[in-house]
Amino acid sequence: MKILRLEYLKLRKKTRSWLGPILVFWLIMLAYPLTVEFLQDKLEIGFFSVLWIAILISMMLATEDIFIEDYNDGSLEQIMIKNSSFQFLVSMRIVIYWLMIGVPISGLSFFFSLGTTEEIFLSLSIFPLALISSYIFLNLFVLGNALSLNKGSLLGALVTMPLALPVLIVLGKSVISIQLGINFLEFILLLLGCLSIIMIIVPVIVSYIIKAHLE
Amino acid sequence: MNTSLIINAENIAYKVNDFKLFHNLSFTVEKGEALHVQGANGSGKSTLLRIILGITNQTKGKIEINSEKGISYLGHKNALKNYLSLEDNILLMELDDHLDLLKYIDLLGLKKLLEVNVANLSYGQQKKLALLRLFLNESDLIVLDEPFVGLDDNTQEILSNFLKDQLNKNKGIIYTSHISCSLESKILLLK
Repeated sequence: MKILRLEYLKLRKKTRSWLGPILVFWLIMLAYPLTVEFLQDKLEIGFFSVLWIAILISMMLATEDIFIEDYNDGSLEQIMIKNSSFQFLVSMRIVIYWLMIGVPISGLSFFFSLGTTEEIFLSLSIFPLALISSYIFLNLFVLGNALSLNKGSLLGALVTMPLALPVLIVLGKSVISIQLGINFLEFILLLLGCLSIIMIIVPVIVSYIIKAHLE
Repeated sequence: MNTSLIINAENIAYKVNDFKLFHNLSFTVEKGEALHVQGANGSGKSTLLRIILGITNQTKGKIEINSEKGISYLGHKNALKNYLSLEDNILLMELDDHLDLLKYIDLLGLKKLLEVNVANLSYGQQKKLALLRLFLNESDLIVLDEPFVGLDDNTQEILSNFLKDQLNKNKGIIYTSHISCSLESKILLLK
């Protein structure tokens, strides 16, 4: 629990790192109605596409400086010397980023969905989808960031972006399943299954990549 | 490996692309002994320390480290968070519950700066904070890369005395320094 507390302390004090992605998400969702007619039917057509893409972009921004600071100031070397588990550190850092950025964004997703569709069941169903998808995107972009640790985060994001595409497809299908009232739980289970694999594999791969960068 | 040895390096070589930084380097560090690695800029001193730390792998040769209580390291980078206060950085270093913490904070003159952000400190003050990690670590091998750079005379003396004390406690020290210090050491010259 101590590592969680310390990771929380670091992220909390870096206001730009956690507030920035939430504000970007909020701005995208606020800007969306301005680009289409204010009729509810028209708004609903593209709303969920914009929602998932906004979560994707926010998570990409959230991971921008997730390792670079530790790499530049020598903290990663100290962690390596202490023989602390890199894998565990990466997992805990992703958890904290998700709790401070992914969870509030998922909460906002519920409210934006409710405001747009005025359907409580649909909006309540969107909340777990946003929670799971934000965690998956976070893991994918962490992997990208580790790959391009000393070459800028944009390159890493471009490399891992294709991995997010199947998740976006599943999210689109999930919304249709909620609206039609069929198989919604199966989609949640599918995403949870993907997440359970990703959240184990990504920290292992990332820890090897970081060690290779340090060398 | 002989139990009195903390480091036993045999025929270490390191190559960057086709450039041999050093080769056939053999040395030992015994308990209670200091090794001063000397050489011109770019001769591979820091790389050698990184090999000892296990961060970088040597191209050839064998290196054995016998440090049950781990290694403490002070390098060019201080591993401090600029946006956090001294107090928070001490928390991050996990030194907050160390019995001697207040003693060393006092000794290094950091007491009045505890609430100040590291970004607002001078390089020397930041280095003093990084020294806390060294002073409060109980590892049996100390690795230092230019530890005296940026420190005033008084702090240099504190550091020298600390290192002498560590040698008396049978710890091993390996360091690079272009600033002369009064620590009795073996010399390893990299050409």
